[in-house]
Amino acid sequence: MSGGVVENLIIELTRLPGIGRKTAQRLAFFIMGMPGEEALSMANAIIKIKEKARFCKHCFNITEDEVCSLCTDPRRNREKICVVEEPSNLIVIENTKIYNGLYHVLLGALSPIDGITPERLRINELVERVKEGNISEVIIATNPNTKGETTAQYISQVLKPAGVKVSRIAYGLPIGGDIEFADEVTLSKALEGRNEMK
Amino acid sequence: MLTRTEGIVLKTQKYGEADLIATYLTSDKGIINAFAKSPRKTKSRFGSSLEPLTHAKISLWGKEQALPRITQSDIADSFRQIRENYRDFVNISKLVEILISLTPVGIPNKRLFSFFLNILHIVKSSEHELKDALHLITRIRLLAVIGYAPRLKGCGKCGEKSLDFYPDSGTTLCTKCAVTPDRAGKPFMRINNKVIHFYTHSIEWPINISNRLKPGRETLSGLSGLLDKHLTYLLSKKLRSSEFFSGTAAQFR
Ligand SMILES: [Zn+2]
Ligand SMILES: [Zn+2]
Repeated sequence: MSGGVVENLIIELTRLPGIGRKTAQRLAFFIMGMPGEEALSMANAIIKIKEKARFCKHCFNITEDEVCSLCTDPRRNREKICVVEEPSNLIVIENTKIYNGLYHVLLGALSPIDGITPERLRINELVERVKEGNISEVIIATNPNTKGETTAQYISQVLKPAGVKVSRIAYGLPIGGDIEFADEVTLSKALEGRNEMK
Repeated sequence: MLTRTEGIVLKTQKYGEADLIATYLTSDKGIINAFAKSPRKTKSRFGSSLEPLTHAKISLWGKEQALPRITQSDIADSFRQIRENYRDFVNISKLVEILISLTPVGIPNKRLFSFFLNILHIVKSSEHELKDALHLITRIRLLAVIGYAPRLKGCGKCGEKSLDFYPDSGTTLCTKCAVTPDRAGKPFMRINNKVIHFYTHSIEWPINISNRLKPGRETLSGLSGLLDKHLTYLLSKKLRSSEFFSGTAAQFR
């Protein structure tokens, strides 16, 4: 079971995030057992995504056209921009169906120790959008962790001169959880971000 | 084998779908890496205890050499005030990067642990008027603790007076010692007595009274630049976090 095409596929699969050699082996053998046309259609899907998919020139969501369908949709509220780290975060927020504004995907989060500087993210493009458009609110929905928080702070600073309202999604306790098991940071954040009951 | 220790999270790295590898500076094992199962899921029992700079009491399962698993992690101090202050966090990140780059993994160093924990407490609660000065002092002190502080007091070879710092030697050198044939044309930086004065006091004074040091802007930037050159030479590369001290990112530090 050495060398050749199988080994080649295993090596290619280990390039994927979270796939170690063992998992790659398992996947490779699974693909070997697939009907020919299914395996081919999977390979084609990979080719197609590289040929056709790209980032929207306004919001950096993934799209097949120059501008994505969210940016061109006339029913969306064009005064609000929700800032997320990755396209996958945008999908999750869309699924809630309570947000109707536009998006801006940063394609990452700031991290000094990894050398991820503002220049490496789509932050300048966000600032330009806010300056140009009639934006009333920027909602920062980066991850509730150190990188996401650092990014949120930086963005709120660079947007200050534009005079736009900048908000951050609330930190809270997970629904279905028990206060007893919440750690001090999560709990103090939840207290700070409390809402008045109506 | 289950072991308990306390540590400060230096950094974390995503691993697989929702797992993390955390790098700790521990009180009794030096720098170690440990694996945490699913902390990135919102309902994880680890909560925020694996965020960088958190000081936590941890339980580890497995051999240290073979990436032990974190089975429990209780926050002693979250240091969230530092993480929530952009300027402090960027500066402490630089300190962490220096620490990780110049400290071998798995070599116990109690002094380094207490030093770093003390720095986090000081930065968290400091109302230092010149916070940039405090951050520069912490960098100098760290280099001294791990044995990589540059020498700025006289020529490193003969002790003669000198104001020329040579990054390739990590010391000031007098004209006689600097121009031996094998050293011809090595770059140096001219420093002044204010820089030497501030540097010496940064190392010698207890850090909690360092706010009495009031260096001028030029002294700060001069010494900061010198340390950067010194580090670039030591590591044979630029620190990643130093990118945050130039360009647009520098506006808010
Ligand atoms: Zn778009
Ligand atoms: Zn000399």
